[in-house]
Parts: sequence; C-alpha cells; structure tokens
Amino acid sequence: MTDARRRAALAWIGTHALGVAAALFFVLPFVFLLLTSVMSDSQALTSNLWPTSWHWGNYAQVFHTPGFLTWWRNTVIYAVVGTVLCLASAIPVAYALAKFRFRGRRTAMVLVVSAMMLPPQVIVIPMYLVWAQQFHLAGTLWPIIIPLAFGDAYSIFLLRQFLLTIPDEYIESAKIDGCGELRALLRIVVPMAKPGIAAVGLFQFFYCWNDYFGPKVYAASNPAWWTLSLGLESFRGAHHTNWNLTMAATLLVMAPVIIVFFFAQKAFVEGVTLTGVKG
Amino acid sequence: MRRTALAILGAAAATALLASGCTANVNGGAYDDLSKKETITFWHGWSQPNEVNAINANIRAFERLHPNITVKSVGNVTDDTINQALRAGGDSAPDVVSSFSTDKVGLYCASGLWTDLDPFLAKSGIDKAKTFTAPTLKYTAYRGKQCSLPLLGDALGLYYNVDMFKKAGIARPPRTFSEFKADAEKLTVRKGDGYRQLGFMPDYHGYATTPTNYLGQWSPTYLDARGRSVLAKGSAVTDMLTYQRGLVQALGGYDRLEKYRTTFGDEYSTQNAFHVQKVAMQMDGEWRTVNLEQDRNVRFHWATAPMPVPDDQADQYGKGYATGTTIGIAHSSRKQNAAWQFVKFLTTNTKALVSFANAIHNVPTTYASLKSPDLDKSPTFRTFVRIAANPRSSTLPPTLNGSQFALTLSDFAYRVESGKVPVARIREGLKEVDHQIDLDNLQAEM
Amino acid sequence: MTTTTLTYAGKRRRQALTTLAFLSPWIIGFAAFFAYPLASTVYFSFMHYNQINPPTFVGLRNWKYVFTEYPLFAPALWNTLWLVVVMVTLRVVFGLGIGMLVTKVKTGVGFFRTAFYLPYLAPPVAATIGFVFLLNPGTGPVNRILGALGINAPNWFNDPSWSKPALTVLALWGIGDLMVIFMAALLDVPKEQYEAASLDGAGAVSRFRHITLPNISPIIMFAVITGVIQTLQYFTQPTVAGNLASGQLSAPGTMVPPGYPDNSTLTLPQLVFTLGFQNFNTGAASVIALVLFAVAMAFTLLLMRRRSGLLTED
Repeated sequence: MTDARRRAALAWIGTHALGVAAALFFVLPFVFLLLTSVMSDSQALTSNLWPTSWHWGNYAQVFHTPGFLTWWRNTVIYAVVGTVLCLASAIPVAYALAKFRFRGRRTAMVLVVSAMMLPPQVIVIPMYLVWAQQFHLAGTLWPIIIPLAFGDAYSIFLLRQFLLTIPDEYIESAKIDGCGELRALLRIVVPMAKPGIAAVGLFQFFYCWNDYFGPKVYAASNPAWWTLSLGLESFRGAHHTNWNLTMAATLLVMAPVIIVFFFAQKAFVEGVTLTGVKG
Repeated sequence: MRRTALAILGAAAATALLASGCTANVNGGAYDDLSKKETITFWHGWSQPNEVNAINANIRAFERLHPNITVKSVGNVTDDTINQALRAGGDSAPDVVSSFSTDKVGLYCASGLWTDLDPFLAKSGIDKAKTFTAPTLKYTAYRGKQCSLPLLGDALGLYYNVDMFKKAGIARPPRTFSEFKADAEKLTVRKGDGYRQLGFMPDYHGYATTPTNYLGQWSPTYLDARGRSVLAKGSAVTDMLTYQRGLVQALGGYDRLEKYRTTFGDEYSTQNAFHVQKVAMQMDGEWRTVNLEQDRNVRFHWATAPMPVPDDQADQYGKGYATGTTIGIAHSSRKQNAAWQFVKFLTTNTKALVSFANAIHNVPTTYASLKSPDLDKSPTFRTFVRIAANPRSSTLPPTLNGSQFALTLSDFAYRVESGKVPVARIREGLKEVDHQIDLDNLQAEM
Repeated sequence: MTTTTLTYAGKRRRQALTTLAFLSPWIIGFAAFFAYPLASTVYFSFMHYNQINPPTFVGLRNWKYVFTEYPLFAPALWNTLWLVVVMVTLRVVFGLGIGMLVTKVKTGVGFFRTAFYLPYLAPPVAATIGFVFLLNPGTGPVNRILGALGINAPNWFNDPSWSKPALTVLALWGIGDLMVIFMAALLDVPKEQYEAASLDGAGAVSRFRHITLPNISPIIMFAVITGVIQTLQYFTQPTVAGNLASGQLSAPGTMVPPGYPDNSTLTLPQLVFTLGFQNFNTGAASVIALVLFAVAMAFTLLLMRRRSGLLTED
C-alpha cells in the first residue's frame, strides 16, 4: 500500500469514527425514549436502561388519555389553516417586493426583516388584550391563526428570496402576451416557484405544529383548544403519569414530524439553505 | 435608514392615539327576579370522577330546593381560565366561580371582579362570624371586604408508615421538631450515594413541603397591620429556615436529597414516594387519605397525625397549615340573586357540606357541619378535621399581589436549604426579602 | 371595441395601485400586528394597569421598578447573556463541525445527514421533555452511563449551575438547521482554491484558516446574529424544563413560577409572560418587552448592515 493510500484509508476511518460518534449523540436519545416508553410504571422510576417487560399497551393508553385526540385535531387545524392563509397572503406580497419597482421598496424590506426578527413577546401583551377584550377570542387559537392571513414576515422574506431567482424575462413575456400582474403571478410565477412555496409552506406548517408560546398565551386557559404542545407539557402532571407514559406521548408527538420529513426531505433542505446562503 | 426610523415613529404616534386603555368592566348586578325561571353558570375546578359526582349531587339537591333556577356547571376550570373570563366579562362569563387557591382573593376583592357578599349575607340574615370557622373567613376576605366564601377546606398533617415506625422502634409520631429530626434520621437507610428508604423528604420543591406550608407549624406573622412584610421581625421564619438547613444536612445533604427526589413518581400517581415506601413520613393534605385507601398496592399500615411543632411551642401541638376552596359571584353576572342562592346553599347548608366533604375528603368550613354526626369518622381523616378546627392553625394572608410574597420568600428559602445563604445570614437576608415584598406590593397597588 | 390607451401618468397610477393591492395584506398586518401593539406597549410601559380597572398614568414608575427593584430582572438578564455568549457560540462551532463532517464523509452520507438533521425537527416541547428525562439525575440513562464510567455526574436540570449547560446540550442536539446551512456554504467554496493550496503544501489547519473560514465568514456571521435573535426569544425550552424538573404540577392553566432551579433558567421572554399574564403587572411586563425590542432591533440592524444581501436584489 502506498503512503497516500494508507493516509486516505486512515482519514476515512477517522472521519467515519467521528461520524458514528456524532450519530450516537443524535440518535441515542430517541432510542432511550423508546425503551423507556414501553417500561412499566415502577421500572420507569429506576435507572434501568432495558425494559424488563415490554408494555406496548402504554401507547394505547396515551391515545385514550382524555383530550389527546382533541390536541391532535387542534394542532392540525392551527397548522393547516395557518399555512394556507399564510401562503395565500405572503405570495403576492413577496412577488411585489421581489419584482415591482416602486418607491419605498427598500424601506418595506427593512420593515419586513424587522418584523421577522421581532421577538413575539414584545407585542404579546397589547395583542392579547385586544383579542380578549375587543374580540373575546381568548381561549381559542384564532388570535394566532388570523394574523397569518396578513402576511407573515418570515414567509414573505423567504419567498421573496426565492422569487428573486426567477428571471424577469419570463414575467415580461407573459405581460407582452397580455397578462396582468395577477395572472402573470398565478400562471407563470407560482408554477415556477413551486419548490420555494413548498419549502416555505413546510416551514410555516412546522412552525405552527411546534409552536408553544402562542397557544400558551391564548389557549392555555381552555383545554378544548389545547394543542399537542400544551397537552404534552402538562401530560405528566395533569394525568398523574410517570416517565413511561410521558415518553410514549412525547414520541407520538414527534412521530408525524419525522414521517413528513421523510416524504419531503428535498423541500426542507431547499428551505433551510434559502434562509441563509442565497440572498 | 433614518427615513425608516421616522416612518416607524410616525406609525407609532398615530397608533398610540388609538391605544386607549380599554377596560373589561361590564357591570352586572342583583336585578334578577327570583320568581322567574333562570339559568346560572357555575365554574369549578373538580375533575376526578368522585369529585364531579359529588358536586353534581349537590347541584341537583339545590335545584330541587329552587325549581326555577337551573345550574349549568363547567368542571376542570383552572385559575387562568377564571382570570381570563372575569377580565373579559360578556355573556360567556360565569355567574358563580370557585377556585382552589386563595391567591387571587385580594385582587378580586379590591378590583371588584368578585362582588361583595356582605350585603347578601345581611339580607339572608347570616352572621358570618358565627357560621364560618375563623381562619376560613380570613382567607376569603380582603381589607374587610368579604368577596368570597369558603367551600370546604384543606389542612396539612403528617402521614407516617406504621410498619417502618415499628421496625425502627418508634412508638408514636413525633410531636416536636427535634423528635421529628431524630425520627427522620432513624428511619433513613442509606444505599450507596442514595437511599434505600428516607425518613422524610424535606426539600422545599417536594410534593407539599413548600416553605409556606411548613411555616404553618411556626405560626408566623407575614404582614403587619399596615400591610408591610415583617418576616425578619419575629423568630418564626428564621427558626424554620435554620431548622430546615439542619434537617437537610442531617439527612445526607441537599444534592443527595434532590437526586433522590428525582426518582419519585408523580405526586398524584400510585408511584407517589409515600405509596411505594420510598419515604417513611410525608407532609400532605387530607385528600391523600382517599388516594391511599384506593391504591391497592398500598399494603403497609399507615396513619396520620398533626405535623410536629417547634420545641418551645410544644403545648400548641395539633395546629397546622390550613387553606381551602373559595367561591364567589362574578361582578359581571346579571343574575346575582339567583347566584347568591346557590352560593348560600353550597357554603352554608350543613347537609350539602357534609356529604360533599365525605365524598371528596375535604374539611367542612362551617361550625355546624364540623359538629355534624354524619361527618366521616375514620380516624385518619378526623386528624385533619381537628387540625382545621384548631384556633392556632393559620394560612397565608390575602394580598393585592396574590402569592407574590410567598414566591419571594420561597426563592430565599431555596437558597438557605441548599446552603447558598449561610444560616448566620438568614435574618439579614429576611430583611432584604421584607424590603422586596414591600416594593412589589407597592408596585401592585392601584 | 375599446382601445385601452393609457397615458403615462395613468399607467403609473395604475402601477402604484397594483403595487398597493399586492402589498395590502402585509400593510394591514404590519399596522395591526406590529406598529399598533408596539406603540401600545410603549403606552402601557407608563401606565399602571392590572387588566381589570382602567389604566392610570404612573410616569417612569414601571421603568424604575424593573431596573432597580424587580429582583428577577437581573438574573433573567444574566441568563439571557450567558445563553447568548455560550449557547450561540457552541452552536455555531458545533454546527460548523458537523457540517464539515458531513461534507467529508464518503460512505453512508444519507444516513449521517438524516441522523444529524432529524432532532432539529422534534417539537421543542417534546425534545425538552425528552432531555429532562434523559438527564434526570435519579432515573435518567445519561447519568446511569456516566456513573458506570466512573464519572461523578451532575444533577443537570436540578442544579442551578448545570441547568444552562443542560439546555445547551439540548440546543446542540437540534443543530440540524445550522448543519445544512454550513454544509451548503462549504460546498460552495471553490475547489480550485483548495487544490492550489494543497500544491503549495498547506496543511489541513492552514487550509481551513486561509480558505474555508474567509469563504464562509458571512454565513458564520449570519448564524451568530440569527442565533442571538433566537436566543432573545428563548421561552419554550427553559419554561418546560424548569417546570418539569421542579416536579411541581404544571398544567397549562396553573401558575408555576419559571426559573427552577434557583432562577437559573429564567429568561427575559419568560418575565414578560409571568409579569403580563400571571401577575397582571402590565406596565413592568411592557418595560421588559421594550428592552427585548431594543436589543433585538440592534442586532437586526447589525445583520442588515453586515449582510446587505438581505435587502438587495441579487
């Protein structure tokens, strides 16, 4: 074996050993959660790593927890309605910001980025008071769904970044064919921007799915509107369960996200790179 | 960039004009005519099947007495919900509300969210001092305004594992805190860097062993007549914290105890440390008697007693921390006469109180119901009835600021038990705590 | 038949109207969900308002209270600072390391990439609950394994000096977003530069310093600044971890003070929530919200300066 080949082999071993070590760090937590989730009540309170008996019924028990299916339904409502509204309102705005020439365009972008970076806690108190006192919608998820119909800054920003990559010539030629802006957007731009829209849609979906602060502020007081995040947070305390059932519930909440990921891997990676690299 | 800043400022100025403070006050009143058919809404926090059945039975009994009033009850309601609903007012808001905590009584009374009940009491000819037990009247009123009434109470006492006591050669439950410490040590069996069995889990983050619950045994004064915090004045708080630090060290140190505590199951599950004999003694409320009786895996003998008292107060053995559920009428209710009939029934009807108390093992809150022959006679439960009726039992004073003062004290207490604040500095530290509580109360003043 | 011959001015007006129409959702949204509440927060910061009785003007009292009297402000500020410095730095370093590892791995790329990315997707509440269990001193597998290795393991979420490191471990577990960004940036570095350096006899370290770093430094900057802004909003993980580790009952409707143990996990956003929605101290909560706003905007301006690409057309 030549020196260079030996060195290459050593590098291969070194890199992959590191890779395996890192993979253990990322994967082992899932394994431990799974093992604990099938333990008995009393075993989950010991430091045993391996279940002495396997209680797959724990998962059925979690499903039968009062409210569990309600949390699912509410989370789906929030995520689906929120994503649809968000895309419907963000696409035209992003298109205008990317392709229209108008005075104040730069200012508008500055404001979009500012809104994007604004911690939600900054404005939550007046918002809550308005939703509670004027609209009597405290205790529901509507106060966090409705604003998504008015252009979420983060989605606008990402979509704009994507739309910038679409050459102006396509839009111009459509207009020459007699299309107005709206038709140009719907006929030409939206089909071309499908990967970007898919990525932004997925991001918004996951944001809603994972959101904790919004539901906590508006819906915590009303179990009928709890989401999975709220239900899971209180799972241990409210249902007087121990680690085994809590871990089963935790994995059941993680599962759909992971399943969606395997189906839409490409759109995800596209979306993440959009946030940082291009632009 | 400057233009942007100007634009934001302009927008801000314009909207500031719109941002008028809006108040949620929808004023209700006692305008309803009792001879007409009415429906009132009642919110409560009970959620366990036996509790819900018991409250529903009482509601049905009330409706039989008042056929023209229908009560729509909503269970499992938390304090957060109550806060939101009362602030928002409107049609969906409840008429009658009950809360497990006494935290918000000060705020609800002072702000008028809960209607003053004294006029109703007078109209119905009820002498509240002769009807309700003294400590319960205190935590349901604020600055002389009786905006809520007690609906059953809780008392904290000592649960002990009789089998473990026998094995350790201890004849009776400890009565003073020095006996308590000696027993706790005797009942502790260490294993490695942990325990096979612990005499008592003292940590303030433990199930019910919060600093303010403990403090009931020392009979502290929290506030002076002018509402200023006086924790550093008497010796109660200093003594309690000093004792706690000593107990924590005697049982193996804070880190070891905290680590052991993380092996405890959920407080209300059958894996509660006392149920599975991880601890020999536990401070807990009367509701635990039901949990222990219903847990089929609890096969050891257990009994209840009052928590011990400081050595210099040995003659006061029998007292404890007492608190309870409060019930009030929403200011926004337009059916306050009907609501009052319902509140009066729940809080003063002896038969209703006794059957409810028996069903959920809470302590009755009127003198008449405490004396009732129908009240559950099981000795483990009766311990708590006596603690609640003890004139030296105490509770937290209601303030405008809810339990903020208790949180400030707790924060300090954690640092004492973990050794961050040395015992010699306790009194000095309490002075700072007093100052802080006064500042916080001032900030909450309206 | 009609001819639509528009004058120049008319065309421009139409163009402006179209622009306005397209932007209108966002204009409404910006006014209603940014400008109004922001102005309102400023207004409330000068008011005493318990959300029941009408607000009364109290001047600078809330500001004085927060900065000189409120005991939780200093620890929350300190914790936020700690997280900004330690957690953000470690996340960027670790994310870059994992990103480089993925670009170097030859076999099983798909597996490694997925394994490293997946935890990022775990809902934060679920991930936090999972880690509170994993790092549980009495029953968790991590301390069990550390103990078997003869390491005296800390009490993690139950020890004030280890709770923030525990949160950091959780944050490192969810490094997937940074990994992908760094991966893409690393692949964008022109290969010829590395080849030329290799011919000059530059070692791995020197190649990293003189080629990789300068090429990806804008991305590192981006990661740092967005990391800081995310940390300013850090709410879910410390809230859930503190509540669960304390062992206190924490249904969403019950009030558990945040920060367990010993206020070591308290952050500024939690203070806004606690003051605003648990203590109903609207004024003090608004002051803290404005502090958050000022810091977040300062970093946003920095970001827009540094990466003007955020605003330009290409």
